[in-house]
Amino acid sequence: MAVKQRQKKRLLRKLLLSSRSNSRLWAALLALCIGTSLLLLSVMIWWNFQQLLEGKQDNDSLGSTFLTISKKVTDENMAKPKMTLFTDADIDALDHAPQVRDVGALTSNRFPVYATLNASFGFATEMFLEAVPDRFMDKKPEDWYWQPSSPEVPIILSSEFLNLYNYGFALSKGLPQLSESSIESLAFDLKVGAGENSQTYRAHVAGFSDRITSVLVPQSFIDYCNKVYANESYTPPSRLIARVADPSDKAFIQYLQSNNYTTNSEQLRWSRLRGVVEVVSSATGLLAILLLGIGALVFILFIELTIARAQHSLSLLLQIGYSPRYLGRFMMQHFFPLLLFTAALSMAIAVLVQMAAADWIKQLHLNLPQWPGLPVWGALAVSTVILLVLVSRSIIRAIGRTT
Amino acid sequence: MQLSLRQIVPTPLRDKINAYNSGIWQQNIDLYKGERIFIQAPSGTGKTTFIHTLYGLRTDFEGIIYWDAYKLPGMSVEDISKLRAMYVSVIFQDLRLFPELTTWENLEIKRHLTGTASQDEVETWLARLGMKDKRDSLAATLSYGEQQRVAIIRALLQPFEWLLMDEPFSHLDHANIEKAAALVSEVVQQNGAGMIMADLDDNEYFPYTRKLWL
Repeated sequence: MAVKQRQKKRLLRKLLLSSRSNSRLWAALLALCIGTSLLLLSVMIWWNFQQLLEGKQDNDSLGSTFLTISKKVTDENMAKPKMTLFTDADIDALDHAPQVRDVGALTSNRFPVYATLNASFGFATEMFLEAVPDRFMDKKPEDWYWQPSSPEVPIILSSEFLNLYNYGFALSKGLPQLSESSIESLAFDLKVGAGENSQTYRAHVAGFSDRITSVLVPQSFIDYCNKVYANESYTPPSRLIARVADPSDKAFIQYLQSNNYTTNSEQLRWSRLRGVVEVVSSATGLLAILLLGIGALVFILFIELTIARAQHSLSLLLQIGYSPRYLGRFMMQHFFPLLLFTAALSMAIAVLVQMAAADWIKQLHLNLPQWPGLPVWGALAVSTVILLVLVSRSIIRAIGRTT
Repeated sequence: MQLSLRQIVPTPLRDKINAYNSGIWQQNIDLYKGERIFIQAPSGTGKTTFIHTLYGLRTDFEGIIYWDAYKLPGMSVEDISKLRAMYVSVIFQDLRLFPELTTWENLEIKRHLTGTASQDEVETWLARLGMKDKRDSLAATLSYGEQQRVAIIRALLQPFEWLLMDEPFSHLDHANIEKAAALVSEVVQQNGAGMIMADLDDNEYFPYTRKLWL
């Protein structure tokens, strides 16, 4: 039976496919292959960028996706301090803004704070304190807690401050540069409140934060002191901290701008890059679709030409009892493997490119998956299915014209 | 399979047919299973048109043709293919072989469609009609007489309940007509099939059960 089928196919090939001009076929297949590869490439550019931003891969060096947000101080509102505070409604709205996953308030002190570094040094300064919910902290020291009976307050400094001192201040004044551990070993006094209603605590630097540019103390300390020394049970925050999935998202940036919020703008450098990536990705995609279209067109024209040339044989085959469906299937069986082969070739190219990209990006201390992700396979599946549908329809139509 | 004709009139012949009394055109006729019908059709009366219309190759006619439950016009292309492959075989007047295939390949492409006849049978039939040495010649290089014999054998390589023949022996000499007619009779009988033979002049190639004028 198999032999019989083979012989029948051989005769059908001789009748229906012998007069084909191969150069056109190869040109069409080449265009399809390049088109599909470009399509996959454009999806991959977009997808890899997404991976860098919010993928599960560990990409610390991209900077945190925690943004501190404050209202812009403008000429109009600079005289009215309340204008730059966040209301509950503001916080709630930000929580629901695009890309925002979590919002917390930075609570600042409403009472005077006076730090004295070991009285004999004679170094004293007024300062400010802030607190942030623990879930927003990048580092949480072991002794990071405070309760009203504790005489000792842990403090986290922004590493920016240390940098400013070490590279800006100390060098110009001929002062010694300080390491993190040397600062952590220093103890100093923290006097909160004024006059009779004041209290002195022992304080030490428990760690440094890269995420929040401030002087942080435990939330319980700020809340307690605000109540006791400033007589304020609640003050609206002037700064918020938000965990953001994709800080380069256009809608998110638009939200910030329309509300006149500012943030550490360096964090938003990705938005500019995203613009470039989107242009490159969509330009590649457009070119890909153009090429795919041309490739599909040439391929379909080639099939129609083949069928038109075999018109005489085809109509005679139908006259001796071959069914259009059978002949259509025969044509599809001949042409589909070519299409599937080009699709496989394109995917192989995509996989190689992805592997090369993953290797290359390692040098930048970033991580990308070794294999193209689901959207890339999805694009391949969709483009291949569309192509197969177009081709089978053209085959059925061309044979239908003969009957 | 019963063939029923209901008021068939081919559009191109409409005016001509009204002028004379045809035994088929514009008649209600039933042809029963196993009948051997001879249709005498002088030139220009639409003999080939009739065969092609029955075979579903032409749609330019009025009236209805019933092949049992199959109805023309109105059959799907897939049903027509099935009718041609399984129930109704034909020997065309203009032979219609694939010129780029050899004698053998012309027969094989038909034989493989249904697998009814064996290769040995085909070999035997070729030998009976004196075509054995033309087995591997391209159809394009065969004489009309040779092509006609290939066309006859080809029509027998499928199951059929009716065999339509349009001047099937026009290019054959008496000796070859006898051999071919014997072969056709034999296979028609094996199939328990009927035949419709259309020709210009009266003949007795087969024991006809009915003779009609077109």
